[in-house]
Amino acid sequence: MSLLEIDGVVAGYGRGPDILRGVDLTVEEGEVQCIIGPNGAGKSTLLKTIAGLLRPRKGRVVFQGEVLNGLRPDQIIRRGIAFLPQERSLFPDMTVLENLRMGGYALEDKSLMSERIEEAFAQFPILKERYKQKARTLSGGQQQMLVMGRALVLRPHLVMLDEPSLGLAPQIVAQLFEIVRGFKDQGMTVLMVEQNARQGLNCADRGCVLDLGQRVFDGPADGILDDPRIQELYLGTQKKAETS
Amino acid sequence: MIADLPQIIVTGLALGGLYALMASGLTLIFGVMRIVNLAHPAFIFISAYITWKLFTDLSIDPLVALAVTMPVMFVFGMIVYKLFFAREADNPRYIEITVLTTFALALIIEGVLGFIFKGTVRSTNPPYSQQAFFIGDIFLSRAQLYAGLIGIGLIAFLWVILQYTRIGYAIRATTQNRSAAQVVGVNVERTSMIAFGLGVAMAGAAGSLFSFVFTFFPGGHWEWLAILLALIVLGGMGSLPGAVIGAYLLTIASVFVNDQIGFKWGPMTFFLALFIVLMVRPQGLFGSKIEAT
Ligand SMILES: Nc1ncnc2c1ncn2[C@@H]1O[C@H](COP(=O)(O)OP(=O)(O)O)[C@@H](O)[C@H]1O
Ligand SMILES: [Mg+2]
Repeated sequence: MSLLEIDGVVAGYGRGPDILRGVDLTVEEGEVQCIIGPNGAGKSTLLKTIAGLLRPRKGRVVFQGEVLNGLRPDQIIRRGIAFLPQERSLFPDMTVLENLRMGGYALEDKSLMSERIEEAFAQFPILKERYKQKARTLSGGQQQMLVMGRALVLRPHLVMLDEPSLGLAPQIVAQLFEIVRGFKDQGMTVLMVEQNARQGLNCADRGCVLDLGQRVFDGPADGILDDPRIQELYLGTQKKAETS
Repeated sequence: MIADLPQIIVTGLALGGLYALMASGLTLIFGVMRIVNLAHPAFIFISAYITWKLFTDLSIDPLVALAVTMPVMFVFGMIVYKLFFAREADNPRYIEITVLTTFALALIIEGVLGFIFKGTVRSTNPPYSQQAFFIGDIFLSRAQLYAGLIGIGLIAFLWVILQYTRIGYAIRATTQNRSAAQVVGVNVERTSMIAFGLGVAMAGAAGSLFSFVFTFFPGGHWEWLAILLALIVLGGMGSLPGAVIGAYLLTIASVFVNDQIGFKWGPMTFFLALFIVLMVRPQGLFGSKIEAT
């Protein structure tokens, strides 16, 4: 049994059209999986649906054998799935430390909180230096560190990251993918969406291509990197499916 | 110089605490839910009438009545939230819906209060409502002093809840970034309901104090709405410290206008301030531009 199984999921916003048009996907325990695909393919929509921010119209999301359909986001995170959305979801008027404490909001055993925060500080010393500062005063790279640090406080079973490298300077991007590998080494499973397809796949064990609301390919990450058709369609001079 | 200045400041400071308490719930509810609660002064009036009833029928002191009105209004607020606002969060016409709903609530409350209590102007008159202190030749009404001190004390209590408790963290998180609060595991619906209840409980406390400082009749809440909106717009909508500072500034200013220009002009201070702030600095003193969600 896979850790996460997505079966024929159809989803969309409000009364709008179906954005996901029957997605099938599996995530195995302990892997880093990277989803790539053109803009507007529905990658973010898929992660939001798994996280419970959107309800599937059809199909099933199954995590560790439990159907998650219809659960609220705060219930899903307590099942062990954390979601780091594309827009850096910080609390701008809270301090760095308070933001980290919010990361542990869903922690069942609160006595772990301070230990986990220390661990996050150890991994991101810059956060320790700035622990009293409001999150809004951090640079883009530091804000992303804070979001990652917050995930470390919870130690979820599965971490979903939506375009973590977006808007970061190249040298920070390399560092970021190392951190993502670090999540795996610390026993977490990772499902990541990346526009930065080559680097994302390089960091991943397995890859998957999403286009027009459907999975069009999946396999080992290096296989995808080497596949000439995928290179042409999705990795080359980033073709974009136009969205209006 | 103005001979009355010390008197003006003392009166303004005493009254300011009550104004701040009246505004605190309004700003909290706006901060968390982006609801401009047009029924907020009507909620204050419900509590004032409950306090009046307890005082006239059972001789319960308004300060003791606080222990009734706060919990009652807390529960009432949560019920109102459940009935009218829960699950509207994703409605694309949220602003229109909440404005019209709270407007309708204010009208309904006014009608019900008028039906039960008639249009007579009321107020409670516990012993301290007639008494005063003198500091040199400065006059300080005991009613205003009590109301002001309890008002600021309850705001400090609210602030401690927001700053240090688990529900406080959840409320602040939801205020600052609703979707981020959701992804760290805050049940934003439940948090909103409790925050709405807390805001209405503050209105409840304010109503009990209001009952012996001011007079009230069923339709009187509209004027207070304009005043309270002025306070929180000046302070920055959604900011609790902003509401407190806005309240003190404008209360002192209106006492000054009352004293120097004439009694009729006091309330105009608030409306003029509202107008100027909206023109010059619409986010107010402490407001940040609302985060995109
Ligand atoms: N909040 C929203 N409301 C309505 N439509 C949306 C919303 N977010 C995204 N969409 C639409 O869903 C489609 C897929 O978007 P998204 O999942 O963000 O794509 P990707 O992450 O792959 O770039 C796009 O056509 C987009 O316009
Ligand atoms: Mg996206």
